[in-house]
Amino acid sequence: MKIVVGLKQVPETTNVKINEKTKNIDRRGVSGVINKYDRNALQTALDIRDVVGGTVIAMSMGPNDFAVSLQEALSLGADEAVLLSDRAFGGADTLATGYVLAEAIKKIGGVDLVIMGQQSVDADTGQMGPIVAEMLGISQVTYADEIQPKSDNELRIKRYDDNIEQEIIAKTPLMLTTTGNAGKPEYVNVVEIKNSFEKPLTTWTSKDMPVDSNRLGQSGSPTVVRRIMSPEPKERAGKMLSTDATKAAEELAGILHEENLLAEED
Amino acid sequence: MTDIRENWIFAEKSINKINSATFQLITKMKSISEIPVTVVLLESQADSFENEIKQYGPDKILTVKDDELDKADDVSVASALSGLIDKFGTPISFIFAATTFGRSVAPRLQAKLLTGLTADCLDLSFEDDLLVQTKPSYGDNIMCEIVIPDFKPQMATVRPNIFKAEKVFDDTTKIVEINDLNWDKDANIQITTHVLPAKTDENLATADRIVALGRGGKQDLNNANELANKINATVGVTRPLTDMDEFDQSQQIGQSGETVAPDLLINLGVSGSVQFTAGIENANTIVSVNTDKHAPIFKQSDYCFNGSSEDFLKALNKVL
Ligand SMILES: Cc1cc2nc3c(=O)[nH]c(=O)nc-3n(C[C@H](O)[C@H](O)[C@H](O)COP(=O)(O)OP(=O)(O)OC[C@H]3O[C@@H](n4cnc5c(N)ncnc54)[C@H](O)[C@@H]3O)c2cc1C
Ligand SMILES: Nc1ncnc2c1ncn2[C@@H]1O[C@H](COP(=O)(O)O)[C@@H](O)[C@H]1O
Repeated sequence: MKIVVGLKQVPETTNVKINEKTKNIDRRGVSGVINKYDRNALQTALDIRDVVGGTVIAMSMGPNDFAVSLQEALSLGADEAVLLSDRAFGGADTLATGYVLAEAIKKIGGVDLVIMGQQSVDADTGQMGPIVAEMLGISQVTYADEIQPKSDNELRIKRYDDNIEQEIIAKTPLMLTTTGNAGKPEYVNVVEIKNSFEKPLTTWTSKDMPVDSNRLGQSGSPTVVRRIMSPEPKERAGKMLSTDATKAAEELAGILHEENLLAEED
Repeated sequence: MTDIRENWIFAEKSINKINSATFQLITKMKSISEIPVTVVLLESQADSFENEIKQYGPDKILTVKDDELDKADDVSVASALSGLIDKFGTPISFIFAATTFGRSVAPRLQAKLLTGLTADCLDLSFEDDLLVQTKPSYGDNIMCEIVIPDFKPQMATVRPNIFKAEKVFDDTTKIVEINDLNWDKDANIQITTHVLPAKTDENLATADRIVALGRGGKQDLNNANELANKINATVGVTRPLTDMDEFDQSQQIGQSGETVAPDLLINLGVSGSVQFTAGIENANTIVSVNTDKHAPIFKQSDYCFNGSSEDFLKALNKVL
């Protein structure tokens, strides 16, 4: 099987704040790591390859420093890596990013399986998998928890549709998105790190693919972020009850009865 | 394609019922815009969920009765929805619940229609016909206000249980039944099992009363269970407790767990991280117990007890 894994580099911590001066997200000193669900996606791909044979290609669209994460993917066992990097790709929303990823997958050609994470921990959208699947015209199974190859072109998948348990048999070509339960990531070993530098890591720009420039970057993005804000949780009265537990319990019991908070509704 | 002045909402079904998020979305969309609300319902021949949906007062329900679409996969549903748009025109907005299903179908449809989609919104409002969407990112640490000025439909998925559903008592909903919709079935996906697991936990999302335990309250599980029994409450937990054998993932409240909206929430030994409080904003009355009088949870609470959860539970179990 020829498998492509979509991999995004994200800030190491999502505990970021807005810089009051620039009104932008302050990411100073925060380094980039592979989005955690993409580690599950990558491991799922490696596990499938190890059973049915084939190649795993890690793919990422982003600035040049995303190459670090692709290098890491190679050391984790991916066979090849492709970085999609071009100024024209900058400022892309999910639709414009999906377009570039889909075009790159078409360029590779003969891809049986694309695997992405269920969501990125910075953008938190989870849209990329279904968007790319639609653009490639292939089937999709999202939020996959357990994946097993059934034959050369079929997978058996377990997932939850909220609390409904589903088992699915899906034929390739297919898009999968993985939860944190799929493909438990393994650690890198030193030999693999050394070997990874022998593996191909290629960069493609907009010139390497037949892309429509109107569909790239900001101009290809229907969504516009008007404003970013710090969340303002609704503050509440915070009335302190007595510090004596018995008195406090009596006070509260009174309030609960008065406000009718213990009554059964239909 | 023609544009129509309607806002569309996708009616999401669980097994044998409409997901309550659908009702919440109807009430919300009616309250923020004059534009007529249309609900899109895919159901089997034998079902008539339109009767339940109409109690929330949408202007119209488009009902597609098709046994094959009833439990269909994402690709087939997205195809049917785009078929409806071909037939009736492009609405101003198309809103889904941010459930597993909504979050899988909506982006698929977005890519068919080549429009914008904002995932997992916490709030919606309109400026004329412009839908203003508020979405969290960076694990709820940042809020973004997003608009889709030049494309239609303006699409969004909205987190369940953020808004309250309200029934209305007029009966003016127009029901349109469609029997000739063209859609492509996805032949590559075969759903072989589709069941509610035998062990279904009491549902936190719809509970009227919740007793929530954090790391500071976990040793008092027995007392907390006693309280929960007394007041007929469901027990919820913060994320660190889901690693313990006694609790599981479905009991987690918060950004990566359930959003809850009970009448009464009692927090025991919960510090009040943003990821936890993101899930409790819609609780009616919040009571919190914490040994630290500066615990952030107190700012988000109506009533606070500064002391140990053990003392408090014992005393409260006595008086109730
Ligand atoms: C991406 C991401 C998503 C997350 N999603 C969630 C989520 O959905 N839900 C969630 O809950 N967390 C989530 N978290 C984790 C979250 O950041 C906090 O770590 C977690 O909520 C803290 O849980 P806690 O309040 O139980 O524990 P702590 O923060 O350790 O607080 C324990 C509290 O108990 C008090 N205490 C101690 N002893 C007693 C006593 N005897 N009696 C009374 N009080 C006592 C302490 O003063 C303290 O305030 C997420 C984190 C990340 C990074
Ligand atoms: N820039 C990108 N390059 C490659 N893959 C991506 C990129 N952005 C998102 N993805 C993939 O899409 C998944 C969902 O991301 P998102 O839609 O941003 O939440 C991620 O887990 C990645 O697998």
